[in-house]
Amino acid sequence: MADTIDDEHLVKQFNRGDESAFDRIVERYSSDIAALANRLLGWSGEVEDVTQDIFLAAFLGLKKFRCECSLKTWLFTITVNKCRSYRYRRILHRRRISQAADKAFLISAGETDKTPMDSETFESVRRAIQALPAKYREPVVLRYLQELPTDQISRILGISKNALQVRLNRARAHLKEELAELTKE
Amino acid sequence: MTEDKMKNLLQEADRMAGLSIPVSVNLSAVVRRRAHRRRFVNLAAPLAAAALVLIAAGIWSLAIRTTETTQEKQKIALLEAQLKQLYVRTDAALNLIQDVLEKDQKQQSLDELEAQLASIPDPLEEIQKQVDKTAFILVYQADRLYRELNRTDSAVETYNRVIELFPKNRWAQVARQRLSEIEEQRKI
Repeated sequence: MADTIDDEHLVKQFNRGDESAFDRIVERYSSDIAALANRLLGWSGEVEDVTQDIFLAAFLGLKKFRCECSLKTWLFTITVNKCRSYRYRRILHRRRISQAADKAFLISAGETDKTPMDSETFESVRRAIQALPAKYREPVVLRYLQELPTDQISRILGISKNALQVRLNRARAHLKEELAELTKE
Repeated sequence: MTEDKMKNLLQEADRMAGLSIPVSVNLSAVVRRRAHRRRFVNLAAPLAAAALVLIAAGIWSLAIRTTETTQEKQKIALLEAQLKQLYVRTDAALNLIQDVLEKDQKQQSLDELEAQLASIPDPLEEIQKQVDKTAFILVYQADRLYRELNRTDSAVETYNRVIELFPKNRWAQVARQRLSEIEEQRKI
């Protein structure tokens, strides 16, 4: 609640012409936005450009923001839209093998007691997520990885709760099929 | 597959991909610069276009006049003077746009160079990382030999190799732990 009030204050400050308020908005939400973009782009790890585009759109559109939803929800909506268009323009999987090896190494470092997911399984999950059409991938990422409540997700995606449930069911069916090999007991 | 199981699988993959995404420190400054440039271009382009239209209209109105009375001559002279002023202003505006764009481009190149400089890794640190990575891979392979393929002797040999090659590395410590685990297992 305090955050929301603070956000409203920042937006008002920005609309009065104080651009330093934007710096605080970026500072507060850039990590969340980058993480969401990374997930929506199938853990590509290269989200600097799209993050810049998202905040550019936010900067140019902040004057039109009416605080009808939280600033975070609004930024998430921009992120979803930007990632949709960005996905078709980008070459994903660049240096995929070496990146996967590096990530496996980084995750394993310092976690000697845990056995992390092996890179093959990770690649399978990543492929399954990337193979999902955007309208199914977005609800999955927002629900299971961002762990947002359904009303917030439906607001971000601009769909009804029923439509969201339908998309989640279909996405689960797709994933179940794709990941069947991994879950064989 | 249950919903929970699927959720766990996805979250595990997400953890594996790494939670912290590095965000550029000067992201806000870059965004602000890009926004200002866009606003400037959006403002300057219609102005320049309007000036050009005015010039064209002036030239056209001059061209269609056939009868030139004294009064008209005065008007033409005035119009010509105005046109000259307009030319000067348009040139100034275009020069300003050019200057700003060039300056911005230079700043951008400078930023890119600075970013490249900042991203050049420390060679010693890189070597240490590679050593660390190699040791990790050896331990990982030995773990697989021991736990998945039951090739204990090969695993022991690989652990010993890690200890021999990288005695001070943290993975050598892990290899020692694994060796003592195997030793305990053999005693049982």
